[in-house]
Amino acid sequence: MKPPRVLLALAFALALPAFAAPVVKTEHVEAQLLGERTHAQPGKPVTVGLRLQMIPHWHTYWRNPGDSGLPTRIKWTLPAGWTAGAIQWPHPQNLPIGPLNNFGYEDEVVLLTELTPPADAKPGTVPVQAAANWLVCKEVCIPEEGVLDLTLKVAAGDAGPNERWKPSFERARIMLPVKDASLKSDAGITGRNIVLRVAAPAGAGLPASATFFPDRDNVVEHAAPQRAVRVGDTLLVEMKLQDSAPKDLATLDGVLVAKGAWPGAGDRRAVELSAKVGSPIAMAAAGSAGGSSGGAASGRPGSSAEVDGSLGAALLFAFLGGLLLNLMPCVFPVLGIKVMGFVEHAHGEPGALRTQGLVFSVGVLVSFLVLAGLMLALRAGGTQLGWGFQLQSPAFVTILAVLFFVLALNLVGVFEWGLFAQSMTSDVSAKGRNADAFLAGVLATVVATPCTAPFMGAAVGFTLAQPAAVSLAVFAALGVGMALPVLLLSFFPALLRKLPKPGAWMETFKQVMAFPLFATVAWLAWVLGAQSGNDAILGLLLGLVVFAVAAWTYGRWAHSESVMRPVIVVLFAVLGLYVAWPDASARATPGALVTKAGELPWQAWSPEKVAELTAAGKPVFVDYTAAWCVTCQVNKRVVLNSSAIVEAFALRGIVPLKADWTNNDPRITESLKALGRNAIPVYALYLPGEAQPRLLPEVLTSSLVLAQVEQLPASAASKTAVTQR
Amino acid sequence: MKKVLMLAVASVFSAAALANAPAGSPAPAFTVTDLSGKSVNLADYKGKTVVLEWINFGCPFVQKHYKSGNMQSLQKKYGNDVVWLAVNSTNKGSSDWTDAPKLTKELKDFGAAPANYLVDEPGTVGRAYGAKTTPHMYIIDPSGKVVYNGAIDDKRSTDLADVKTAKNYVVAALDELKAGKPVSTASTTPYGCTIKYK
Repeated sequence: MKPPRVLLALAFALALPAFAAPVVKTEHVEAQLLGERTHAQPGKPVTVGLRLQMIPHWHTYWRNPGDSGLPTRIKWTLPAGWTAGAIQWPHPQNLPIGPLNNFGYEDEVVLLTELTPPADAKPGTVPVQAAANWLVCKEVCIPEEGVLDLTLKVAAGDAGPNERWKPSFERARIMLPVKDASLKSDAGITGRNIVLRVAAPAGAGLPASATFFPDRDNVVEHAAPQRAVRVGDTLLVEMKLQDSAPKDLATLDGVLVAKGAWPGAGDRRAVELSAKVGSPIAMAAAGSAGGSSGGAASGRPGSSAEVDGSLGAALLFAFLGGLLLNLMPCVFPVLGIKVMGFVEHAHGEPGALRTQGLVFSVGVLVSFLVLAGLMLALRAGGTQLGWGFQLQSPAFVTILAVLFFVLALNLVGVFEWGLFAQSMTSDVSAKGRNADAFLAGVLATVVATPCTAPFMGAAVGFTLAQPAAVSLAVFAALGVGMALPVLLLSFFPALLRKLPKPGAWMETFKQVMAFPLFATVAWLAWVLGAQSGNDAILGLLLGLVVFAVAAWTYGRWAHSESVMRPVIVVLFAVLGLYVAWPDASARATPGALVTKAGELPWQAWSPEKVAELTAAGKPVFVDYTAAWCVTCQVNKRVVLNSSAIVEAFALRGIVPLKADWTNNDPRITESLKALGRNAIPVYALYLPGEAQPRLLPEVLTSSLVLAQVEQLPASAASKTAVTQR
Repeated sequence: MKKVLMLAVASVFSAAALANAPAGSPAPAFTVTDLSGKSVNLADYKGKTVVLEWINFGCPFVQKHYKSGNMQSLQKKYGNDVVWLAVNSTNKGSSDWTDAPKLTKELKDFGAAPANYLVDEPGTVGRAYGAKTTPHMYIIDPSGKVVYNGAIDDKRSTDLADVKTAKNYVVAALDELKAGKPVSTASTTPYGCTIKYK
């Protein structure tokens, strides 16, 4: 604790007008007292500011410094009769350091204090003195202090602003939290979490996300991530309580800082709250998807910033994803055939073609929005769903398989009828063609779902944590991307003319397109098997055979006038569906995990198992997966079951657990929610001595997994073993 | 781009977190080396009251309690009834990292008298206990249960003069333990410098 190097620039000081003050310089901070006004009036408060200018990357602290540190303190020496108010603290920022988090200021901060002269103060000049001490830290901390002098002028009459320091005071005032009586706030404790609820009057507006800074240092876990969710006129912020939080907490006091400006508060971002702690408050259903926000998050402040800031990026990516969907095996055949229809028309009336393209696009968009809306409605109703939820239903998987199978039979030429064949005949009425185009759009979306869910489930699911309007916008962008190629072709038929002239090749193309569809059927059969067991696969396949009979009958006697034809077709179709329909009660036996040589020795996941293993000090790796999740399967085959990973896991004694979400399992949904996710893949690595698991990215690479795993000592050569005694 | 989004979220969650050993929970066992490189196991002290003091002489809050003589007198006050272990979780890359010969000298210069000084350079022990600051104090009773977790006293400052007027939580807890009474203030919020974890 060396004495601060006080450099009194004498010449400078002498030249100063009455409201300026000498600068005190310490090793890390330049400190100065500033007067906001040209002079003080008797009996009226005047604001002075303690300006602390820190050298780059060093910080001083807020009134609650967080996990460590010390708030800045000021002791005033004032002329007789003068009084000083408390420090008015600008809102702080998160200052994460390792696994801890502090609250404070970098660069410059101006701490405001109101000084009130007595009513009988004589005009003239008076000295005020502030003995300030502050802890300034980067990685290490240095306590510093300074005695700061300011000469204030006292005069009657209105005081103007002190132009020299106007910007500093303006900055400080923008950062002061607003006390807004129209905001209603309360808080509730559930287990180890506390939820803050802020309600604004209708129409007043609330920020989409905000970070809470508690006044007291013993309530909220400063480094734990906060989750903020806005539902209509209510903003919910969920925080983790400290283990030592007082049991009889009456109010949760602190400052709530919006991501941008606080609606209705001008440029100001923060509000001061004193929330009464009452009965538990449930986080909103939308929040269960977990937009991590706020964020000290053991670190990086403002994870919500990334979310908000990249809505544009999310839309762009959804759009690109939609474009990409056109090339997926489940969509390409359908679109390919649609384009073939256009080729037929390319030489026809351009107006009609445009209309068809537009109607098709509308069909795609409407279907995406209906699907998204349906899911949002179900979620709002409290059902725990993530994107990809459709594929958790064996019935839906069966219907998709039947649909793909019938489409494939149609393409391969077993029968000639259906939505696509229609558009290829030129004698269909314009109205019929448009209806067909719309249906083709709907169909393209429906057949696209098995592709969207596995490839984009996690990302789309993440978007769902956002307000409904945002998620709908993202789905719309997905639809626009998917519809765009067909729309472009319909507007620029010249492009179509680059394709070979209509002819025999089109028939061949159409038939070839059947095979990706058959392949999709094979995959869906496997998914169904994972959901409902071996018997379900047999049922599905037999059902498909019966369906094939219906399709064949329909095609073989296409020109027959006999009543028998439709009767037989309908009979076999119904019978086929009946045979294929999965038994709702049938469930693949979970835990039937067969370990093959050279693969990870997977064990079935359960929350108890994780608790038991981590309590025993064992590192645990959890693979949240499902048969219908293609990304999961790719990660498992290419990365997790590779010899390098298998060896690394064995060497370090990491226990691999598999949480299989192929069927909806509320325990897994709950566990994902706790991790802030609602879609898979999710990979969680529990390390000894770390309360929270580390989450790996959804797309794995061997080097990435090894980098995480290699931080662990080899289990045999463990130097510092930590276990529960 | 969405992947970037997800990665951003994942990275937020994946940052190393602290475990915790709240008062009332069993004390996490550990094996670490002391200044002389000898292995020390918490189990070695079974049946005794153990105090863990997170320490870093580079920290002004720690200096407050050593320059005032406060910590040294506590280390001696309870004699053989209490095993006092100073734990340093500072990582090697930190400017506060000090090597063993220099630490030995500093301990001697201060007249410090912990039963042992533990070098937890990987931070494993600190993370298992959820130690946040220097100082951060834990008391483990003879049955191996954490009975106090928190600050050394109730005056969050670096001012030496505050030591005299502060209520020392560790003294209060140890006195209660000695008298066979339950610890009345079993958990407080520690204050000090951030532990320089790896």
